[in-house]
Amino acid sequence: MKFFKGAAALGLILSVAACGEATDKTRDRNILDGKSGDLSQLTAGIWVDPQGCEHWIIDDGVEGYLDLRRTPDGKPVCNSELPRNVATGPFKAGSTFADPI
Amino acid sequence: MVIKFNLKSLLPALAVAALAAGAVSDSAQAQQRTVVGERYVPTIWVDPDGCEHWVMDDGAEGYMSPHVTPDGKPVCRRGQLCGMMPTDQFFATDKHYINSAGRARLQQFFNKAKPGTRYFVIAGHTDSRASDEYNIRLSQRRANAVAQVARSVGARIGDIRAYGERDPRVPNTSAANMAQNRRVEIYCVR
Repeated sequence: MKFFKGAAALGLILSVAACGEATDKTRDRNILDGKSGDLSQLTAGIWVDPQGCEHWIIDDGVEGYLDLRRTPDGKPVCNSELPRNVATGPFKAGSTFADPI
Repeated sequence: MVIKFNLKSLLPALAVAALAAGAVSDSAQAQQRTVVGERYVPTIWVDPDGCEHWVMDDGAEGYMSPHVTPDGKPVCRRGQLCGMMPTDQFFATDKHYINSAGRARLQQFFNKAKPGTRYFVIAGHTDSRASDEYNIRLSQRRANAVAQVARSVGARIGDIRAYGERDPRVPNTSAANMAQNRRVEIYCVR
């Protein structure tokens, strides 16, 4: 009985630790890619979509980020001379996680 | 009204009291509303252009969205504008012809900016006098004229935009403000 109680307690502790609530969502808290850092330090490359518009692409290990690039008037940066459907630049620079794909 | 904000309530869901007007007073309990949600506070990532993005990481997933003003313009830390031509210095009223002195200044600008720039985006603007349609056409002609000079020195043009009077920098309330609104903006995509 005591064993079960202990196991239950341990299980509870583990589950709480695992969920370890990511209340601070401003940091990379991934244990798999062996690093964690402030998300303001991400390094981006450029990905060009099938229509020729540019996006910032970031591979931060397990997480990936993609966001539209805009000129000051709010319009997208399009008519790119870079090849479509291709990501260029140091967008994997923030990752030490072996990314086979 | 009681606003519960202890850490325990964070675990399954966060109970947030509604921010409805007047809800702060005790007598406004009838308006109390409970929003069930999880707290997602972003940080800011600044892209190579100097513009801000909201970014969050909740463990395995990452989220990102642009930080924009209500009219959809990006919020940037440094001026992303690479060239601003007050049109009074380059164009006569209602005209889109660029004289040789203006042409030389523009060529000098594009030659200087060209090495670090992949392509340029040209956007024409006017003040609010004359009709909207007329101003759109005038700003288009002027932006085209600037783009033509850029191409003459081998600069690549990504886009030419005509805003007319629809995107003033400052309210068209004085002669000085109107002069500020008469402009051709040049964005350098690096």
